[in-house]
Amino acid sequence: MASLLWLQGGACSGNTMSFLNAEEPSACDLVTDFGIDVVWHPSLGLELGDNVKALLRDIVAGRRPLDIFVFEGTVIQGPNGTGRFNMFADRPMKDWVSELCQVANAVVALGDCACWGGIPATAPNPVDNTGLQYLKRAHGGYLGADFRSKWGLPVINIPGCPAHPDWVTQILVAISTGRAKDIGLDELQRPVTFFKTFTQTGCTRTQFFEYKQSPKEFGQGTRTGCLFYEFGCRGPMTHSPCNRILWNRQSSKTRAGMPCTGCTEPEFPFYDLMPGTVFKTQKIAGVIPKDVPTGVDHVSYMALAAAAKIAAPKWSKEDMFVV
Amino acid sequence: MTSTILPPNTKRISPLGRVEGDLDLNIKVDDGVVTDAWTEASMFRGFEIILKGKDPQAGLIVTPRICGICGGSHLYKAVYALDTAWRTHVPHSATLVRNIAQACETLQSIPRWFYALFAIDLTNKNYARSPYYAEAVKRFAPFVGTSYEPGVTLSGKPVEVYAIFGGQWPHSSFMIPGGVMCAPTLSDVTRSISILEFWKREWLEKQWLGCSIERWLANKTWADVLAWADENDAQRNSDCGLFLRMSLDIGLDKFGKGCGAFLATGTYFQPELYERPTVEGRNAALINRSGVYDGAEFHDFDQANVREDITHSHYKGSSLLHPWDGVTEPIDPLEGAKQGKYSWAKSPRYLVPGKGQIPLEAGPLSRQVIAGRPGAAKHQDYDPLFLDAIRTVGPSVLVRVMARMHEACKYYNLARRWLGELDLHDKFYTKPTEHAEGKGFGSTEAARGSLSDWIIIKNGKIENYQVVTPTAWNIGPLDGKNVHGPMEQSFIGARIADPADPVEVGHVARSFDSCLVCTVHTYDAKSGRELARFKIGEGAR
Repeated sequence: MASLLWLQGGACSGNTMSFLNAEEPSACDLVTDFGIDVVWHPSLGLELGDNVKALLRDIVAGRRPLDIFVFEGTVIQGPNGTGRFNMFADRPMKDWVSELCQVANAVVALGDCACWGGIPATAPNPVDNTGLQYLKRAHGGYLGADFRSKWGLPVINIPGCPAHPDWVTQILVAISTGRAKDIGLDELQRPVTFFKTFTQTGCTRTQFFEYKQSPKEFGQGTRTGCLFYEFGCRGPMTHSPCNRILWNRQSSKTRAGMPCTGCTEPEFPFYDLMPGTVFKTQKIAGVIPKDVPTGVDHVSYMALAAAAKIAAPKWSKEDMFVV
Repeated sequence: MTSTILPPNTKRISPLGRVEGDLDLNIKVDDGVVTDAWTEASMFRGFEIILKGKDPQAGLIVTPRICGICGGSHLYKAVYALDTAWRTHVPHSATLVRNIAQACETLQSIPRWFYALFAIDLTNKNYARSPYYAEAVKRFAPFVGTSYEPGVTLSGKPVEVYAIFGGQWPHSSFMIPGGVMCAPTLSDVTRSISILEFWKREWLEKQWLGCSIERWLANKTWADVLAWADENDAQRNSDCGLFLRMSLDIGLDKFGKGCGAFLATGTYFQPELYERPTVEGRNAALINRSGVYDGAEFHDFDQANVREDITHSHYKGSSLLHPWDGVTEPIDPLEGAKQGKYSWAKSPRYLVPGKGQIPLEAGPLSRQVIAGRPGAAKHQDYDPLFLDAIRTVGPSVLVRVMARMHEACKYYNLARRWLGELDLHDKFYTKPTEHAEGKGFGSTEAARGSLSDWIIIKNGKIENYQVVTPTAWNIGPLDGKNVHGPMEQSFIGARIADPADPVEVGHVARSFDSCLVCTVHTYDAKSGRELARFKIGEGAR
């Protein structure tokens, strides 16, 4: 049995919508099978006391225990540090966040916005957004690098735009069944169980990657080729289980022919969406990919690519995912 | 930051006491009747500012994040804004895939919205005296209701089809100028059909209707709908039957009229008529038509007649501009309050020839009213049911909700038809020329209503990008002529049974499905004393 409060700051509800797609367990199962007591959620119309404000005050004052505080969306700090761009229950949302994080046993940042600022924090970051404990890759964010919840945990970051429902439900179940200490976190405070592997792990296009074969244009996307070389796919540099734990139980961006945009990493959207950077691989001297697979240097990469291209078999130049 | 409530034009309004949420409704009640109302959107992120100076295609990634509930609709209209700006060619099958994906997002939204956001209010203790109350609590109670749980869980099915074509839902960006990124296979089509069949059988026919889609679609007038609800036990006891009977018992057909004028920008394109998307050719290529109904007559929709008024919105100045000329310069809401501004929503208005600027309601009811306009082309949807409803019983909470639920049958049929028409050996993409200069307009019907983008590209980057959402159309504040937005109007004149617990107001707000959490405050008009504040969406306790 664990109590859960879910609030949204500078949010689009994408993580809530994603969460509602969950099946094993479903959102309803969390309540009925795992005994999670959802104290309140902004759009799910849960039972609650007559007055949310009183409820929040009770939690802040310690009169009502809070096990899990889930925050979706950015912490909005503008204008001029006042937080008035996002008012909530009589005051800037950021002030509620400070107080609730102090009393919660565990704090979960759900989605890129809450983890590192996400799309709203793209330059010029008009309303001064930040994530709970990071702003992009800089440790600190809104709560500061030293923040620990009452159970002594840093903010648990479940990134993604949106996060996959299973990443959320499994972490919530782990916490509510007394396994919070089992959740290993990486250097960006993401659960390693999900974020140790790469988006490329399990991608159906890896054989094309291996022999450095690219499709010529979109639309044959699912027929052939790897999207890393020309279309800006970030699969080899992005930590996520998107091709292990499929989306909506069906597919993933790369399987459907869409380049991975790297949305589980703090830099998303990469290159701040400047002209020429959307769905196009950034290159040095027009040939060498600017970003090469994690852990590989450019020189080794070039040597490997040359050999792979020479070795490329005939089938790697043909359509594979045909009608 | 609370103060006494005074009309905004006194410049003394300040942000009101809030309970929570992104939308505050402030209602004045006089002898049980609402005499005035203001809606405040209370959160700002500045997407239009972020888009300025970025890659022309940035909108495909950024705009879906404006609203994760309608993200696929944002993508759909963003891609058409680019298609028109870059003068692309879109292969037939790419148009079909775009249509299928967009329809599946809406099919997801219909049950999810009904059970998770709307029907839970039927369990409000205010209705304890209704003979239908016990059954409503049993079925609609959050998380544990016998209809809530399957309704919400099965709502995830249609977006599995979205994922088959787009990789994931929400937030794929698989539609690009010139087509789509995918190239579906036989199994993609087969599985999509199978998933939609399952959803139709288990939720739409078995749980919601209690009859076949065909039987429901035979209803052509509101009288037909009422007769349908009493035709047999299966229909009487379905979720739809129960909802209809309970709504009539508790009077959901009696209030929530709105401004009585409707906008649809239309959606879904007939592939051969929109191979080369243009702003001028858009209306004729639509399957679900665009149009404006001003309460008396129909007008063709023309994007050139759209304006955004910012007199009472937290932006600099008080301009009334077409979105291509639109500006977004936020000011501190504290400063805004001094100028009588009270919301982050702008107030979209439409210039009706000879009538000047008027507010228009957007959403499923608007779409279905426009669907009743005579003169549809062979490929276009003609459906007289809801035009009859607003002309006989008038718009109301009940009629607005039923319009939305009605679309489930229609969009299912369309999606099935398009899946059948897909030519898997066709091209799904034509590489466009990325022009350095261009002007584009893209629009669609999100579940909640008309959603449009206006883009100007200069020197290979975004010069101006303006998004007008259905939520803005519906919940926007007063305009420069002090005319209320549609939602504000829909409260005025409503009779509140219990001013201390005005659940009626909650239903109205929910019926507009504003994308935002709503908080309601009621005030006594004479004394200015606050009577109640409650959060819409509280379940039975």
